[in-house]
Amino acid sequence: MPDLFFLPALPLPSNQIIWFGVLLIAGVFGGEIAKRAFFLPRITGYAVAGLAVGPDGFALLGRPMLDELRVFADISIGLILFELGHRIDLGWLKRAPRLALTSLAESGLSAIFIYFTLTQLFGVGPLHAAVAAAIGLATSPAVVMRITADLGAEGQVTERALLLTALNCSIAVLALTALIPSLYLEYRGGWRIIVLHPLYLLGGSFLLGLVASALTLQVLQWIGKRVEVQVLALVALILVTVGVALILKLSVLLALLAYGGLLRNLDRNRSLAAPDFGLIGQMFFLILFVLAGANLDLAAAGKGIAIGAAFVAVRFIGKTAGVVAFIPGSGLKARQGLLLAVALTPMSGLALIMLQDTQSLFPEFGRALASLVLPAVVLLEIAGPILTQLALKLAGEARPEPATKS
Amino acid sequence: MSELAFKPSRPLTLGIELELQIVNTRDYNLTRGASDLLGVLAKSGSPGDIKPEITESMIEMSSSVQASHAGLLAELRAMREAVAAAARGLNLGIAGGGAHPFQKWNDRRIYDTERFNHLASLYGYLAKQFTVFGQHIHVGCADGDEAVYLTHMFSRFVPHFIALSASSPFHQGEDTLFDSSRLSVVNAFPLSGRIPFVRGWREFEGYFSKMRDFGIVGSMKDFYWDVRPKPEYGTIEIRVCDTPLSIDRAAALAAYAQALARYLRLERPRAVSDDLYIVYNVNRFQACRYGLEAELIDPFDGGRAKVHEDLVATFPRVAAHAEDLGCRPVVQGLLMGARDSGNDARRLRARLKETESFADVVRWQCEQWMAKSS
Repeated sequence: MPDLFFLPALPLPSNQIIWFGVLLIAGVFGGEIAKRAFFLPRITGYAVAGLAVGPDGFALLGRPMLDELRVFADISIGLILFELGHRIDLGWLKRAPRLALTSLAESGLSAIFIYFTLTQLFGVGPLHAAVAAAIGLATSPAVVMRITADLGAEGQVTERALLLTALNCSIAVLALTALIPSLYLEYRGGWRIIVLHPLYLLGGSFLLGLVASALTLQVLQWIGKRVEVQVLALVALILVTVGVALILKLSVLLALLAYGGLLRNLDRNRSLAAPDFGLIGQMFFLILFVLAGANLDLAAAGKGIAIGAAFVAVRFIGKTAGVVAFIPGSGLKARQGLLLAVALTPMSGLALIMLQDTQSLFPEFGRALASLVLPAVVLLEIAGPILTQLALKLAGEARPEPATKS
Repeated sequence: MSELAFKPSRPLTLGIELELQIVNTRDYNLTRGASDLLGVLAKSGSPGDIKPEITESMIEMSSSVQASHAGLLAELRAMREAVAAAARGLNLGIAGGGAHPFQKWNDRRIYDTERFNHLASLYGYLAKQFTVFGQHIHVGCADGDEAVYLTHMFSRFVPHFIALSASSPFHQGEDTLFDSSRLSVVNAFPLSGRIPFVRGWREFEGYFSKMRDFGIVGSMKDFYWDVRPKPEYGTIEIRVCDTPLSIDRAAALAAYAQALARYLRLERPRAVSDDLYIVYNVNRFQACRYGLEAELIDPFDGGRAKVHEDLVATFPRVAAHAEDLGCRPVVQGLLMGARDSGNDARRLRARLKETESFADVVRWQCEQWMAKSS
C-alpha cells in the first residue's frame, strides 16, 4: 500500500528501548508493592518483578533479549564495584587491624564450610566445590549498598558491613581468578594458557584500574570540587573503563574494584568528594536487580533446594563465626557483631556475574557449577535484603521512621 | 534551707564542658556515632567525664574541677587522646567548631533518652536545629551574691568571649557572614537571653520561684542564658562560646574567664547597674556578626572600640590577676594577639577559600582537634 507507507509494517518490530523501559517500570512497581504492601525492602520487589517478566515468569522477556540487556547489567555492576572499591579505606584497616582479620576469618570460614559441605555431604567434586565456595564467600555489594542507602543507615554495623563486603568481594574475585589454572588443567589448555590467562586477567585488570584512577585524578583536578560535575565525569570514566575491560577481555569486576580502591587510596588531596551517583545510580541498581531476578532459573533451583539450603546455612555459620571471633576488642558489642554477620548474608547479582563469567570460559563446567550456586542465589535473592534490613534496624542504625515521611 | 540553695565552692576554680562534632571520614558529614564511641570509651576506662548529648552526632566532654589553667589543659589533653584514639578505631572524626558547615538539620537523630525525647517533642524542629556545639566555662563562686554580681559584670565581656571563640561561620552549606552563627540558633528558644536584673541571690530565688510556680521552668537547666549562675555547682557558667577548633584554645578561653573573674571579684571595679544591659543585645549581635572586628559600645561611658582594641585595653587590668593564677602568658597571647592571629572563624573561611570544599574544611577541623600537640 504505497499510499500508507508511513505506517509501520506488521508484525510490529520490537526494540531494546521498549524492553529497557519494561524492565524499569516492572522494577518500579515491584519495588513499591514490596515496600507498601509487604513492608519488604524495595530491592526484593525488584527481583520478584524481574522473575515475573522473565522467562520463568510471564515470559515477556526471552533469553535472547536478556542477553542483549546484559550490557546494562555490566554498566550497573561497574558503577557498584567502583563505589565498593572506593569504600576500601586502607587507613582504617591499618588503624584497626582486627578488621582485616575479621574479613579473612569470615571469608575463609564461609568458603571452607561451603567447600566441605559440598564435597562431604553432597559428593561434589573438589574443583566444583572450590569454585562454588569462592563465589559463595562474597556478600552482594549491591544489596548492602542499596539497603544502607534506602534506610539512611549510619553507624558501626553499617560501616563495617560495607567494608567487609568490599573486602570479601575482592577476595572472591581474586580467589576465582586463582582457580582458573586448575580449571584449565581439568578441561583444556597447555601450560602457556594456564599461566598466562590468570596473569593477564590480574595484571591487565589491575593496570586498567590504575590507569583509570590516575586519569581520573587528573580530570578531577581540572574540574575542581563541584560535586555534580564530578559525578557526571566519573560516570563517564566508569563507562569507558567497563567498555575497555570488555574489549580487552579483562575482568570487569577486578578492574572496577581496583579503579575505585586505587582512586580512594591514591587521592591524597581528596580531590574526589565521596561519590554519590544519586538517581543515575538508583536506576542502574534497579536494572541490575530486575535482570538478576529475570535471569533466575527457578526449575534448576527447585531441584537443588537441599543444596541451596545447606549452602546458605553453612555460609551464614562461617560468616558469623568469623565475625564473632574477633568481636572482643573490636569496639563492638556482641549483639552488634551478630547483627553485622546477619547483614553480610545477601548474595545476588555479583554471584550471577561470576557464574556467567566462569560459564563463558568453561561451558560444561559452568552448567554443573550453576546447579550448586543458583539455588542459594535464589533463596538469598529474596531473603538477603530482608535480613540486611532487619539487622540494620535492630542495630538502631536505620534512620528513624518519622524523618523519612516529611 | 532554701529550695535553690547556692552550694559555695572554692572561688575561681575552673571547669569546662565542650560539645564536639562526630563526623564520618568519608564525606565528613555529621554521623550517628555517639553511642558507639561511648561504648568503646566505657570499655577502655577513659579519663574524665564524656556524655551523650541531644543528637547522636555530638558528645560532651567535661573536665573535673581544676584550680589552674595548667591542670585543666593537662586533663583536657588526656581526654582528647582517649577520645581521638577511640574515634580512630571506629573510623570516625572528632571536630571542634560551633556548627557543622554543611549538615542538613533534618538528618539529625535524637539520642535515645527520656529527657532528649521530651525536648525533641517539645521544641520540634528547633531541637534538631540545635545541633550546634558550644563551650561552657564554669568559674567557682564563694556564695550566691557573688555569683549574681559576676553574672551581671561578665555581661560586659560577653562580646569578648563570643568573638574570641567564634567558629561557626558556615551553616547548612552556606557562609552566614557571621563569625558565630551558632548563637542565633540559641536565640530561638523562649528561655534564652540573659538573667533579669536582680541584685542578689535572695532576689534571684524569688524570681526563680515565680517562674517555677508559673510552670515555666523546673530547674536552672531550663534557662538557656548567655551567663547563668549554677547553684548546684556553686559556679557561674559562661555559655556564649563556640567550641574552639583546638583544646588549647578552649583552655585559654577558660584562663581568661578565670583571670577576669578574679579581677572583678577582688577589685569590684563597678557597682552593677541596669545600664549594663542597655547595649547588651547590640554588642552581642555585633560580636556574632563581625567577630574581633565588631565595634562595641561601652555600657558605662558610651565609648566605642573594636573588640580586638577592647581586648588590648582589658589586658592590663587582668594581667596581675592572670599572673597570680599562673596563666599570664596564655591570657596575654589570647588578648594581645587577637588582632593578628584572628579567631577560628577567620581560619575556617581561609580554609574554605583555599580548598573550595566544605568536606575538606571539616577534615582539617578534625586534624586540628585530634592532633596530638597543637
